[in-house]
Amino acid sequence: MDVEQAARDLRNRTLSDIPRSLDRLIYLASMRDYNTGLYYHDGLASRFTQEIACEALANCHREAFAQLLGCSLRDLVGQIEGYIESTHTSPRDFVAAWKKLEPYRVAVPVETDPVTAQLLFSSFKIALAILEARLPSVPTRPNA
Amino acid sequence: MISLIFFLCIGALLFFCLFFLARRNPQAEGSSTALVEARQALNTLQIGLLPVELVQRVFAKEDWDYVRSETPKSIHELFMDERKGIAVLWLRQVAEQIGNLRRFHRGAARHYAKLNPRVELQLAVSFAALTGACRALQVLVYLGGPYVAPHLVGAVANAAARACRMSEESIAFLNAARMGVLAVQRSHLAAR
Repeated sequence: MDVEQAARDLRNRTLSDIPRSLDRLIYLASMRDYNTGLYYHDGLASRFTQEIACEALANCHREAFAQLLGCSLRDLVGQIEGYIESTHTSPRDFVAAWKKLEPYRVAVPVETDPVTAQLLFSSFKIALAILEARLPSVPTRPNA
Repeated sequence: MISLIFFLCIGALLFFCLFFLARRNPQAEGSSTALVEARQALNTLQIGLLPVELVQRVFAKEDWDYVRSETPKSIHELFMDERKGIAVLWLRQVAEQIGNLRRFHRGAARHYAKLNPRVELQLAVSFAALTGACRALQVLVYLGGPYVAPHLVGAVANAAARACRMSEESIAFLNAARMGVLAVQRSHLAAR
């Protein structure tokens, strides 16, 4: 019951300000310690307990993952475009970095089914290729 | 003297029988392992692979329509390769988990008198049909892409979900608590 209350608190206070499921997924994945797999959120832990906060964050992370997975490819492309805008990075640099580093691979919740995770990775790969194809071509300088 | 030798032989035979039965302990552990694995296979199928949302996403035609109408040709090939790979992976995983369940019902399930032979027979037929359908679909998807047989995909997913429900009901007497005990026993044995 407490976990559900904490999750509701998290949704109302924090996640409601993050409209895109991609942004929520990245935000919640960033709350996780990569060494232990545990989630930390000081505000939530102070209102509840560390264990409850951790479980609530994990639940919301799974929720965001499921929401993103349910998006169509068109929607995913739109979400990545929106995310690029919000980071104020050049789209070319962003697409190059994401294609190379594949940061979305560390954003999946623990115990995600491998096929499900693979589907999302594959969709990201296609979406990034679509965004790359849409980038304006760089004018080539004639050799001096 | 002859009767002494006879009784000694009987004694030795009994001793070997006991020794043989004692050596069957790992077999008993094996059956608990099979139970845990069957439960895991059911979870993987029901929670991981067969939810309608996932199946719809893997075989979503709207994604292909979007790619075909709004992206350059170079993306079409990438999309098809990626989705074909995911579809084949999904089918392979479903077939593998169905195989795990089939092995459990064919082997370890024999030890449980509470299992209904008629249900077990129905399950055997379902598992065989599903395995065949998954293999056929894998070939079809490999050759023709993920949208080659949408109705067959739906039928396989529904049949697999039905078989899971039947399997779950047939082993329902092994409740979650028992599974928890078995999982702990298994991890202890593995740690030895």
